[in-house]
Amino acid sequence: MQNSFSPIERVVRSVFLALMLLWSVGPILFIVSSSFKRQVDIFVYPPKFVFAPTIDNYIKLLDQWQGFFKAMGNSLIVALGATVLAGIVSFLGGYAYSRYRSRLTSWTAVYMIAVRVLPPIVVTLPLFPVVNRLGLGDTHILLILLYATFWVSLNTMIMKNFFDQIPYELDEAAYVDGATEWQLVSRILARLTFQGMAAGSIFVFVYAWNEYLFAMIFTTNHAKTAPLILSELMGAVDGTEWGVLFAGVTLQLIPVVLLVTLARRYLIAGLSAGAVKG
Amino acid sequence: MHSRPRPTTWLYLSPLHLLLLAILTLPSLYVFWLSLNESSYGTGLAWVGLENYRTVFADGYFWRAAINTFFVVNGVVYVELIIGLALATLFVSGVPLRSVMFACILMPYAISEVVAVLVWKMMMDPSVGAIARTIESMGLGMVNWSASPTVGLTLVGVINIWTHLPFTFLMIYAGLLAIDPALYEAAHIDGATRWQRFTRITLPLLVPTLLITLIFRLIFAFRMFTEVWLLTKGGPARMSEVLAVYLYQHGFRYGDFGIASATGWLMVLGSLLLASIFLIAMQRSMRGA
Repeated sequence: MQNSFSPIERVVRSVFLALMLLWSVGPILFIVSSSFKRQVDIFVYPPKFVFAPTIDNYIKLLDQWQGFFKAMGNSLIVALGATVLAGIVSFLGGYAYSRYRSRLTSWTAVYMIAVRVLPPIVVTLPLFPVVNRLGLGDTHILLILLYATFWVSLNTMIMKNFFDQIPYELDEAAYVDGATEWQLVSRILARLTFQGMAAGSIFVFVYAWNEYLFAMIFTTNHAKTAPLILSELMGAVDGTEWGVLFAGVTLQLIPVVLLVTLARRYLIAGLSAGAVKG
Repeated sequence: MHSRPRPTTWLYLSPLHLLLLAILTLPSLYVFWLSLNESSYGTGLAWVGLENYRTVFADGYFWRAAINTFFVVNGVVYVELIIGLALATLFVSGVPLRSVMFACILMPYAISEVVAVLVWKMMMDPSVGAIARTIESMGLGMVNWSASPTVGLTLVGVINIWTHLPFTFLMIYAGLLAIDPALYEAAHIDGATRWQRFTRITLPLLVPTLLITLIFRLIFAFRMFTEVWLLTKGGPARMSEVLAVYLYQHGFRYGDFGIASATGWLMVLGSLLLASIFLIAMQRSMRGA
């Protein structure tokens, strides 16, 4: 494609790009830089871009807010659990939808996508009493089930599209060599659909790591996740604790920001397989 | 090549459909049953037919929430689509330090709604927020989102756009990459201007992508809860509620499960209506081919 832009076009493009960068990264830089500022410097106006960094906020966080680190641990357990569960479930489902087709499978696929559009808050009403009766309230396993369920539909579609790219001749060759269907799926196809698994895993992990509504409704103490703790601290801190809160927020967002930016290739692959083609 | 399903095929599909059945389908059917009954904490169900729906439709707060949802959802989604399209076009035609820029644009996708609300709340705080004070010093008045529902919901919209623009951008970008470059070269040789190439080639070929992105975003914005709940709690005086907040208030605050369930089922119908265009297209492609 030709990229000969006139000087005016160049300026417009640069300004737009600069604005979008500021819009995307500015708020994140504000959080991270505030976490290294002394209390008095955080809300100085106009904001200070050059300041003497301090790690006092982080020390204070370690000293006084033990609950935050437990919540980070919970977030990690829940996010990894949901990622693994959704990964297995949508891998198996994606295989079945890619290789087999009938009127019934196509209807169940449509049903699968249709239930995915239900607003999460709707299912909280009936689940709330049931969950407590089953002793699942305030447990990791409940959040894992909920988070995985809200992604299996889309991830199954993504996996189906990745399976579709593997020629059926490969399956036939494996069968001729005497492989069982399970051997074919678990030994051969699993390796070839790695990209799809990676893409799906990122979606689930980011969602489970950051989710608020289910965590607020279904956890009270033991299984509280980091976003929930942060929201509570946000409402509770007084003027002297903002730096500590920003330190907590920074620790919460760094892992997923790294994940998303480093694995962006898989995000594009996954989105184009799951939505643009599907 | 597709085979007819074997008995084992259903084994591969069973974990998927068990999860969906237990966590989504049965609960939402039960919500429908609840919506036809009156109940609260510790009371049994009492059949009232469509009475709950009548009550909901007669409730001014419901309509307030519905109208708020309508305006926020539409505002957010179309602004996002336009900025996302402009940004994706920019990236496809080449930007300096492409992968670094790309990573920066994606960053908000990784941020929790809770954190997004926190940071925007701080930056827009009328007395200490950097952006709010800049707006004020430019003579544009004080940004008081906690007192005015309109300003509050606008801020909700801004936060929602901030967290979801990366998704919209990625979807459109992936769609743009799928367009055959040979088409542009041919058009260029025929003397088409850049604008003509954009309106005659890019836009028509991008319509399916834009449509899917639009439907996705409409469905997701429709369930918006966290931003409103953490920013305004629906206030002042329940003026900035959206449907999910209205449902939450009635279900978990007032213990009025009938009203909450009726609202929930209306939200289900709304979502399915939005999704039906996509589902019909998908059903055709799954059966056809």
